[in-house]
Amino acid sequence: MVQSLAMSGHDSKYFSTTKKGEIPELKEELNSQYKDKRKDAVKKVIAAMTVGKDVSSLFTDVVNCMQTENLELKKLVYLYLINYAKSQPDLAILAVNTFVKDSQDPNPLIRALAVRTMGCIRVDKITEYLCDPLQRCLKDDDPYVRKTAAICVAKLFDINAELVEDRGFLESLKDLISDNNPMVVANAVAALAEIQENSSRPIFEITSHTLSKLLTALNECTEWGQVFILDALSRYKAADAREAENIVERVTPRLQHANCAVVLSAVKMILQQMELITSTDVVRNLCKKMAPPLVTLLSAEPEIQYVALRNINLIVQRRPTILAHEIKVFFCKYNDPIYVKMEKLEIMIKLASDRNIDQVLLEFKEYATEVDVDFVRKAVRAIGRCAIKLERAAERCISVLLELIKIKVNYVVQEAIIVIKDIFRRYPNTYESIIATLCESLDTLDEPEAKASMIWIIGEYAERIDNADELLESFLESFPEEPAQVQLQLLTATVKLFLKKPTEGPQQMIQVVLNNATVETDNPDLRDRAYIYWRLLSTDPEAAKDVVLAEKPVISDDSNQLDPSLLDELLANIATLSSVYHKPPESFVTRVKTTAQRTEDDDYPDGSETGYSESPAHPADGAASPPTSSSNVPYAGAKQPAPAPASPQPAAPVPDLLGDLIGLDNSAIVPVDQVSTPAGPPLPVILPASAGHGLQISAQLIRRDGQIFYSLLFENNSQIPIDGFMIQFNKNTFGLAAAGPLQVPQLQPGTSAATLLPMVLFQNMSTAPPNSLLQVAVKNNQQPVLYFNDKISLHVFFTEDGRMERGSFLETWRSLPDSNEVSKDFPGIVVNGVEATLDRLAASNMFFIAKRKHANQDVFYFSTKIPRGIPFLIELTTAVGTPGVKCAIKTPNPEMAPLFFEAVETLLTSY
Amino acid sequence: MISQFFVLSQRGDNIVFRDYRGEVPKGSAEIFFRKVKFWKEDGQEEAPPVFNVDGVNYFHVKVVGLLFVATTRVNVSPSLVLELLQRIARVIKDYLGILNEDSLRKNFVLVYELLDEVIDFGYVQTTSTELLKSYVFNEPIVVDAGRLQPLNPAAIFMQGTKRMPGTAVTKSVVANEPGGRKREEIFVDIIEKISVTFSSSGYILTSEIDGTIQMKSYLTGNPEIRLALNEDLSIGRGSGRSVYDYRSSYGSGAVILDDCNFHESVRLDSFDLDRTLTLVPPDGEFPVMNYRLTQEFKPPFRINTLIEEAGAVKAEVILKISAEFPSSITANTIAVQMPLPKYTTRATFELEPGAIGQTTDFKEANKRLEWGLKKIVGGSEHTLRAKLTFSQELHGNITKEAGPVSMTFTIPMYNASRLQVKYLQIAKKSNTYNPYRWVRYVTQANSYVARI
Repeated sequence: MVQSLAMSGHDSKYFSTTKKGEIPELKEELNSQYKDKRKDAVKKVIAAMTVGKDVSSLFTDVVNCMQTENLELKKLVYLYLINYAKSQPDLAILAVNTFVKDSQDPNPLIRALAVRTMGCIRVDKITEYLCDPLQRCLKDDDPYVRKTAAICVAKLFDINAELVEDRGFLESLKDLISDNNPMVVANAVAALAEIQENSSRPIFEITSHTLSKLLTALNECTEWGQVFILDALSRYKAADAREAENIVERVTPRLQHANCAVVLSAVKMILQQMELITSTDVVRNLCKKMAPPLVTLLSAEPEIQYVALRNINLIVQRRPTILAHEIKVFFCKYNDPIYVKMEKLEIMIKLASDRNIDQVLLEFKEYATEVDVDFVRKAVRAIGRCAIKLERAAERCISVLLELIKIKVNYVVQEAIIVIKDIFRRYPNTYESIIATLCESLDTLDEPEAKASMIWIIGEYAERIDNADELLESFLESFPEEPAQVQLQLLTATVKLFLKKPTEGPQQMIQVVLNNATVETDNPDLRDRAYIYWRLLSTDPEAAKDVVLAEKPVISDDSNQLDPSLLDELLANIATLSSVYHKPPESFVTRVKTTAQRTEDDDYPDGSETGYSESPAHPADGAASPPTSSSNVPYAGAKQPAPAPASPQPAAPVPDLLGDLIGLDNSAIVPVDQVSTPAGPPLPVILPASAGHGLQISAQLIRRDGQIFYSLLFENNSQIPIDGFMIQFNKNTFGLAAAGPLQVPQLQPGTSAATLLPMVLFQNMSTAPPNSLLQVAVKNNQQPVLYFNDKISLHVFFTEDGRMERGSFLETWRSLPDSNEVSKDFPGIVVNGVEATLDRLAASNMFFIAKRKHANQDVFYFSTKIPRGIPFLIELTTAVGTPGVKCAIKTPNPEMAPLFFEAVETLLTSY
Repeated sequence: MISQFFVLSQRGDNIVFRDYRGEVPKGSAEIFFRKVKFWKEDGQEEAPPVFNVDGVNYFHVKVVGLLFVATTRVNVSPSLVLELLQRIARVIKDYLGILNEDSLRKNFVLVYELLDEVIDFGYVQTTSTELLKSYVFNEPIVVDAGRLQPLNPAAIFMQGTKRMPGTAVTKSVVANEPGGRKREEIFVDIIEKISVTFSSSGYILTSEIDGTIQMKSYLTGNPEIRLALNEDLSIGRGSGRSVYDYRSSYGSGAVILDDCNFHESVRLDSFDLDRTLTLVPPDGEFPVMNYRLTQEFKPPFRINTLIEEAGAVKAEVILKISAEFPSSITANTIAVQMPLPKYTTRATFELEPGAIGQTTDFKEANKRLEWGLKKIVGGSEHTLRAKLTFSQELHGNITKEAGPVSMTFTIPMYNASRLQVKYLQIAKKSNTYNPYRWVRYVTQANSYVARI
């Protein structure tokens, strides 16, 4: 098969699309010269992104489409950016220029879009550039831009709180509270509320002045804005009853809103102010006003009903009168979802009173014969709870329970017995007459709780049940197999029986039980209880009586009754999640500060919020994964309290080289990233100091993480500080151009700075035949423009997707005409270690495909690809360890061959 | 504020996914779906709309079989999030005309564009289709309306009555019609969902109407509209007045709403005076007014159920439905259901002679009798007899183990509350301006139950 590689053959198709991966195909389309095709391609990329495919490798190609007047396309590119900027922070820089430009566009939609998107790119280096545009947009003439900018302040605060305070954005935000556009006001309130939430200092305090301003804005706002404002105002504590009444008066009309969120937030606000209102008339009136809107919430979608019911559950615990006359609306509809039914039952129990209990019982009885087992059980329990709650209705409740038992539906019977046990505890010595009926169902009990309840009843009333001993004995046979709950009850009940009827039968039983519960069990609770009984009975039977048969405290219905302090807290949190879970917020809100959260992707050490420290704190646990390319970005200005990037090897000290690079310039706090400084040989000097008026420039194109960078080192050997660096590239074969501004801080005399400049392709293409010349111009504020030439080595363009299957390699080889084959001899090159060489080539995206022997030589086949999907098929012939390599290539672009051979030479000799 | 928004198909596939704050770990959609699918907590088998997993709060609503989900880490207003999810569904439907998996997938670019305008950094910006139109540029790709599920009650207008233009409800508010011109029209739908519980002896235990006046405007230039309701409409049951008072006896008298609320575009300046609503309708579908009433009303159907034991292991059920509305009105898609005792093994049915368009079924798995009727003309009566066979002897409790009988139906051009739109006035732009106005009524069963 391998031999057939050499065959050149049919003129088949160059690449069958099916063989080609999706990514390279998209890449090609993204770089198409046709606008529509590019737009379609971006759409395809977004589609792939949504379904979870990783299309991050297309970053540069997508960003290249950003400079467009087409809003539709621009939005798509921005969407992509937001998604991948985090994983490719150094590349996100590419977009900065366009952002800044867009933020000054005459079209307000574009201005807003730029600010909105920049704020979503959570990359520190970008944050810096966000400030000026944001400042402008906060004062923009267009409300759409201002409202977007308001939210953007919250975004920025989340990334870098200090920056927000330093730049005075909080003040601008507070100014926006008085904006004449209600949308802007609402967003400013939302942003301030969030900032306050995450800050320990008082930032957004509601004074009576803000209060009245916001209450006025309330009427103009959109429904959502009303919720923001109401929620923010709910923190306000009115000074006295009069102020509280005033507030309530202005909020009450919101109860009439069609949006349930507005209604609930208004209810919250009113409930809170009501605490201060002393006039009972006013309170009564307010209760009356709140009832209909609360009930109307139950006409909304079931999901909203659920939230409303959970809230109403709390409200009726504090103010039962509000809905006292509305119990009917809580009757279950047959088509209510189960979660709604369950909540309605809870509220029905809470609202049940002597006045409506007959109606309620009728409902419960109906529910107890429905199909849904859980609902039926809950309904049966509800009857029991009503019995415990309403003394005068207890008898009626019990008769309903007995009716239900008679239907002999197993789980109904068991549930009924469980609640009847509780009723007996609530009303001792009152309803024992029904025990006989209960006993009829004895043998159908198979649930532990029901069994335990029945056994408790038998033991408790042993003296009134003639055959109590027989009944208990029937359970004893299976004692060892019973669950612990049942065993414990059996033990106690037998002891009770014995104490009440110390006859021969019970005495024998107690022997069996005590034996079983001490010797034959592994359950320590059971054993301990048995030993205590045993000792009591053997030492002082009278004392045993006092202990075991002591009068029990009467229970009350406290199930689902909340602790008063918790209820207070929950009521303060009406219309929040807390009121749905019935848990205080701190028990479930675990908002990770986003900065900390980011470590997952960006590997910022935990200390990053505190700003830069001289010796970067590495995560002590060493949990940080190897850094992605987060720190490859050229460092930004001096002032930025840049987070210290985590070192790839926390143990290793910062290399000396870096110390030199940071230089003596202490004012520039440089988050020098270890990764960006190539560990390999120093960069070639491209412009010696002699030619650069004292400025020496070393540079080289490199490829990292699928992207091309121009790695630069500037050394200032002159006598003056140099700043304001800019760079430009002349037209070249690959259209290489800078993707962002050159970021070099002011260079003091005798210091140096390194940077990685992201590059883009196909920007300024030269029409000359392919060549490796790269002409560069560097400018700064102090010197004349410096020109120098660099050499492009083709291997930095070798893309990560260049690997070919044998089959497609063969097919491609055959499909290309023989005239496309070019070869060259490298007499001086020696290949020594085959493995090492293959690895090195693979690292440069030249992928090994196959190898064969030919006479005393080895023939290796490789594939590689350069942007726009141009493949190179390579055949290297050499005798390992002997000088001389022959390289033959086949490619659709043979004019690239000279460049390719240069690259191969570099790759094979650079070790 | 929310962290993420996503839409999942019934199978759990991601159709739309948008992360606004990057604070919820990856995989939230999978975590959510698994949790909902295999929910088993608090003895319930259906996940509540709000729950918390590992510090992440998940909200969801179901719309036409799709799951609309939002996540957050903070203590937000749950009603805001749930309402928002519903609204997003509505906005998307306004734009796409049809909301289903197919239309979402075909229009994902537009959907993302919408989502970016609707929510910024987790904060709702607007859900008004009208406002969104100035910021959103993608054109919807219309999908075939073939076999879609109706999103809302108004969708029934697509079937039945011929007077209604069939495409109205599935028409995008932004896309132009094939001819390029938009048809000037406005739809006002009075949709009422009624809930009635009859006692075993036929008395009405509870009755309630949840109504909505829904509007969908395709008028260019957003002219002002006046909508006049019954002049004798009153709001709020006076606390002193008994429900048995003369005004509430059905058949005549005023319409008394328990409560109502209005869309924010509605101005109520003259509402107290002459019961007219003034509004400039925004584009898209929206409820002008929601109302609720528990005032007694004449139920459209009476249900009579007779269940008799016929031997130790047999019983006979007779179901009779009487339509108590005028014969000019026809109810459609009627379904009657009745749970039978668990030990029922067989049911044979006997329909009245000459019955057409009726179906009967005994659902073995959940022991349920199902009776379907294509239509019922006002004033008519229909009967079904079913013979049941049991696997065990009866305890004489058959009425407790069967039922209740529940019923679903739709009655076009009928409303139980008698709330009416007396006129719909559109501010005239010119003498020739005469857009189509459609005022439509429909009544649907919500929970219509007869106990036995």
